[in-house]
Amino acid sequence: MSASHKPVGWNRTKVLYDAALLAAVAGYILAYLWVGPLIQRTSLPLDEQTLAMKAYGSCAFLMLTLVLCVGPLARLDRRFLPVLYNRRHFGVITFAVAAAHALHVLGWYFAYSHLPQTEALLAADTSYGQLRGFPFIPFGIAALLVLAVLAATSHDFWLSFLTPPVWKALHMGVYAAYALVVMHTALGALQSATNPALAVVVALSVALVGGLHVAAGARERDGAVARAAEVEPGWMATTTVDAIPEDGAVVVHLPDGEPVAVFRHGGRLSAVTNLCAHQNGPLGEGRVVDGCITCPWHGFQYRLEDGCAPPPFTERIATYRLKLDGRRVLLDPRPNAPGTRVEPVPVPGAAA
Amino acid sequence: MTPELVPHLVHQAAVAYSAVGAVVAAAFLLFGLDRVDPAARGAYAFRPLLVPGLVLLWPLVALRWLALARGRGLRGPAAGQTRHRRAHARIWIGLATALPVLLLAALALRQEGPLEAAPVRLPDAPAGVRSAP
Repeated sequence: MSASHKPVGWNRTKVLYDAALLAAVAGYILAYLWVGPLIQRTSLPLDEQTLAMKAYGSCAFLMLTLVLCVGPLARLDRRFLPVLYNRRHFGVITFAVAAAHALHVLGWYFAYSHLPQTEALLAADTSYGQLRGFPFIPFGIAALLVLAVLAATSHDFWLSFLTPPVWKALHMGVYAAYALVVMHTALGALQSATNPALAVVVALSVALVGGLHVAAGARERDGAVARAAEVEPGWMATTTVDAIPEDGAVVVHLPDGEPVAVFRHGGRLSAVTNLCAHQNGPLGEGRVVDGCITCPWHGFQYRLEDGCAPPPFTERIATYRLKLDGRRVLLDPRPNAPGTRVEPVPVPGAAA
Repeated sequence: MTPELVPHLVHQAAVAYSAVGAVVAAAFLLFGLDRVDPAARGAYAFRPLLVPGLVLLWPLVALRWLALARGRGLRGPAAGQTRHRRAHARIWIGLATALPVLLLAALALRQEGPLEAAPVRLPDAPAGVRSAP
């Protein structure tokens, strides 16, 4: 988080992450360009430019597959959280590789066109009236446009300017981009591929990305979360004091689906929305660090008693009122305005 | 409208859209940014990074700029953001179902796929098909 915008909020983790990612991309491209000519069919050799197109295109497809797997993997297994931490850089580099693929296509097939290159690209195949040989280029252009919008709005400025719900909805466009890329590949490269390797890779990607998202969704629905039930007017029973780990939380789903995180810290209980103001990260899966709730996704922090980020930061989240009924934790389901102070509830018998 | 005209019109529309976007981007960076985002005041190095997004999304930028200039809050509510989680679930149930079907359909359409007629030897070719001399 940043009180004043910077181009990139670099830290050691991000530098190492980006260095490893760029090295992997460079290694893949170079291996494709060097090894590709050695194993291709001698009866139908590919020229260098076509090989480069395929190298960048396949690299972008694999990167998009990986970047889409990171979210559900982190929800299924916390060990993947470090990969999620810098996912936006992964996405921006994916766009750059996809753009390199497009530039190679334009430079090879349309360099000497009498039309502007993009117009020539659109005019290259207009056989929309037939299924076999249906144009695949528009799918790729559309996917690249979506990725361009996502990369261009990846800076934190856009999050605060557009508001988190709009920004999040915009960035869910990555799913459309993936579907478009699958169609671009299926109607393009797969149509002329003579060995099954590419079809197997695309099928595995679809199975992996779809399977992980469905599995993570099922885990979220059926996972270890409490469901609130009204026990007296205006108060809902959530969980018990003993079920909440020290410096951790239990996530409670209200009847309207809103998730609330009930934290325990220093022998006192506090409740806030489970959605981080940054990117809706699951705060209840985070920990209390230095007296603040710390989002497991990007480390945004909030004070327990009022949901405000510590100065100089300005993010705020909604808080909820709590009270105890014996060991049972009761919650008022009406959220307070973000940043509203609610005195934490002491746990009887707990050491402060 | 001929098929050749569509790419021409799309290209012209993209050029016009980008030109307007460049104007909106310049105006926003010069006159709007400091007013709508306190975190931007005194911060200049990040501004060039905003240009592509401002050009690509200029209608949305203009609407949001207008709303903020009329005094609406910069931030939306922190609670009540569960809609995107529900949409997320629906999207992936849909995609996990549709993508394998579309992929199989595309494979079935391949020139060398299962729907292609078996190749025939030229001497056995139907009447009317002549072998090369």
